[in-house]
Amino acid sequence: MSKAARTPRSRPVFLNLAQIALPVGALTSIGHRLSGVLLATGVPALLYLLQRSLGGEAGFVEATALLSQPLVKIFLVALAWALAHHMLAGIRHMLTDMDVGSALGNARRSAWGVNLAALAIAVLAAGAVL
Amino acid sequence: MRFSISRYDPDRDDGPWLQHYDIDLQDSDRMLLDVLLRIKEQDPTLSMRKSCREGVCGSDAMNINGRNGLACITRVRDLKEPVVLRPLPGFPIVRDLIVDMTQFFKQYHSIRPYLINDEPPPERERLQSPAERERLNGAYECILCACCSSQCPSFWWNPDKFVGPAGLIQAYRFIFDSRDQATEERLDDLNDAYRLFRCRTIMNCSEVCPKGLEPSHAIERVRLKMIKKDGDSGALPVHPPRPVT
Amino acid sequence: MKRGPTGLPAWLVQRASAVYLLLFLVFVLASFALAPVHSQAEWLQWLARPGMRLALAVFFAALLAHMWVGLRDVLLDYAQPVRIRPYLLIGLAAGLCGLAVWAGFILLRMPA
Repeated sequence: MSKAARTPRSRPVFLNLAQIALPVGALTSIGHRLSGVLLATGVPALLYLLQRSLGGEAGFVEATALLSQPLVKIFLVALAWALAHHMLAGIRHMLTDMDVGSALGNARRSAWGVNLAALAIAVLAAGAVL
Repeated sequence: MRFSISRYDPDRDDGPWLQHYDIDLQDSDRMLLDVLLRIKEQDPTLSMRKSCREGVCGSDAMNINGRNGLACITRVRDLKEPVVLRPLPGFPIVRDLIVDMTQFFKQYHSIRPYLINDEPPPERERLQSPAERERLNGAYECILCACCSSQCPSFWWNPDKFVGPAGLIQAYRFIFDSRDQATEERLDDLNDAYRLFRCRTIMNCSEVCPKGLEPSHAIERVRLKMIKKDGDSGALPVHPPRPVT
Repeated sequence: MKRGPTGLPAWLVQRASAVYLLLFLVFVLASFALAPVHSQAEWLQWLARPGMRLALAVFFAALLAHMWVGLRDVLLDYAQPVRIRPYLLIGLAAGLCGLAVWAGFILLRMPA
């Protein structure tokens, strides 16, 4: 049986993301999803910290001590970016939901705004925390 | 000018590969399609779809330097070298730059792209005011070239479940047609986890539409109509298509 | 007809919860920016404000609802093979319910 007997199911597909253009809105969207997943991983940690902080004076001290560890601080900066990007991208989405800034020109400008503002906030957070 | 074109012969190749062609541009080479047809004279085995050569049939949609576009209205001298031509992303490759459009058209048919009106037809037309007709502008112009759906990540991940931007802008065209009476059924049909709601307003579709249409905007308006916030939105905006470079 | 809880209702929950989360977060950030907390006593005092426990309870409910819709979207997009999607969704739901119960316990321990 020669290769000529290929069925549609075995046809190759071009999907190399490194070779496909990523417009600015696509970057905002990837960031939105990534930041969401990152924030989700932080929720159990948030609950743990909250719980410890309520557990007597020792618990509170332990919680604040945890927050000053270097690895935790780096995670906090990442979370700051994640929170900023997720919130700003989310606000942009909710505005376009209401037909505000949905046309391509404005949407691209707001996408640039979100991407840069979130990075700026991350840098500020790094400055404050590290 | 160097062109690197994705080749694939199912009878001979295991997978697609890039073939390089060095072409001296002539004065008559204005659009990418002009060059492709001259390459085809040199190498008749190169396969692509083409027809109207003026940007209205949608046959020669392909991925040009990463962005989808129509070869016949892409100015070849504006393109960065080497010009990398690949078939539309996410669609099964039949041969070279020709892709299988079956799934794409299945989704199009699934939104029932025809007027549904059970009233007996009037003697002449079903009347429509200019304002009502205006609402179709920015949607009816879709030529079903598939540039949008094949640049949409949500369509890549679930082409069999998500209708995709092309199908959805066509759905918009009928949902907002005052002569159509199946609006509720059309909205219900799109109201599940996949058909419309896989759309996350990434807006790749609006970026690459060679006719300057905005499927992402149309989808937002359909969502608003689902929650009954119809508003007095007129035509969908049409922007000057961003040139492929 | 396909109308069900997974299309428009899920999208609305995502948007509504987002609005509450946004307002709550802005309130919390502003509150700590204006009057930072330095000891456990101050922290408990901040938590003991009237309505805070209720606001926090709604916050966690909104957060978990928002996480559900968002993470479910991730699963619906990427999870392969398709037949395992229902199981992954059940797993996600179970995890979020666990977080909800945990948050409930924490809220009960809070000063009212």
